[in-house]
Amino acid sequence: MRYLLISLLFLLASCASYQQRNNFEVLEISDKVITNPYFSDVAKDYVYKANIVFYDKSFGGLFIVKKIEENHHRVVFTTEMGAKIFDFSFHYNEFKVNYILDEMDKKILLNILEKDFRVLVREKEKTITKSIKNNSELLETKIVSKKYYYLFNKGILNKIARTNNGKEKVVFLFSKISDASAENIKILHNNIKLSINLKSI
Amino acid sequence: MRKIIYLLLFMVSAIHAQTKMTNVEASLLKEKVKSQAEKTNTISSDFVQYKHLDFLSNDIVTSGNLAFKNPDLVKWEYVKPFVYSVIFKNENLYINDEGKKSDVNLSSSKLFKQLNKLIVSSVKGDMFDEKEFDISYFKQESTSEVHFTPLNKKISKYIKAFHIQFNIQGDVVEIKMIEPSDDYTRIVFSNRIINTPLSDAVFAH
Repeated sequence: MRYLLISLLFLLASCASYQQRNNFEVLEISDKVITNPYFSDVAKDYVYKANIVFYDKSFGGLFIVKKIEENHHRVVFTTEMGAKIFDFSFHYNEFKVNYILDEMDKKILLNILEKDFRVLVREKEKTITKSIKNNSELLETKIVSKKYYYLFNKGILNKIARTNNGKEKVVFLFSKISDASAENIKILHNNIKLSINLKSI
Repeated sequence: MRKIIYLLLFMVSAIHAQTKMTNVEASLLKEKVKSQAEKTNTISSDFVQYKHLDFLSNDIVTSGNLAFKNPDLVKWEYVKPFVYSVIFKNENLYINDEGKKSDVNLSSSKLFKQLNKLIVSSVKGDMFDEKEFDISYFKQESTSEVHFTPLNKKISKYIKAFHIQFNIQGDVVEIKMIEPSDDYTRIVFSNRIINTPLSDAVFAH
């Protein structure tokens, strides 16, 4: 019986939500809109020096994002010497591959990149729950059936986490933020060895 | 009315700023570039690279320097806005990405070897291989421009055309690599010094 209780407790603990795991207090359902400001200016060309580490391979290049119009972004990766590696369009939930190097044209990889970059450039989302801790706000949303948490510290977006069963699967970290742009961005995967590091140039 | 005529004349001359060379002019240029390339043992040059993507408001501008040593050593180094260099040596690429070093062996990929060879020969401008390219020659005020369109489908998938500009001496002053999408990379050379001694240390990795 005691074992049963312990295992039940254990089970309950392991089912803890992402908010609970991080000691956030969940508030009433909010109609607040989540805003990611980092790729929201149509007048701006967002150019980053990128380093992508995939298992034991490391690729350098330029990562370029352009907002074409509302809910429409281009995301392009080129080598330092200018050769295109991939070129994607995100238009609402639609995803289009304008170009990809043959060697990278693999469905699994494309799925990962699609999911990552869709979230990266997505500007506005409906909030499902809102929770708070000290000066931080954690806003929950769903993007194409995946659960995401947006962490704002003093109103500034520092992190987005994609979760599964309350655990982080992918995190997006934004740092050195000024004027609604993030100088450093990291996309880290917990279940595969993939990390994308971006540094504004 | 006079204004319109001037305007029309101006338009006509603007269109004709780049005219096709005659066969004689073309072979003279070809000879000049070839003999210049043969005399070239080393090249050291600054460059500014403009990456043009149609949807961007401005081209992405990066700059650095180039070192070439006969027959096929090339070091391409970016200094601004980031520090990155790549050395083309034998069948390898040696990359130094802000201090992080890596290398790529090209021997297994025929295509990369070909692309690599193109980069090396475009630095000297000597790409006049009619089996590989459809070539057309143009003249401008003080420069000549040659358009090289790859015939090999595997290459033309990556690069639709190379446009190389030569000065009066037959030195390369600008290379434009145009992608099938019409986006392009334009590289403008300056302070180009021919046959200045370059030690092997420049190409060490």
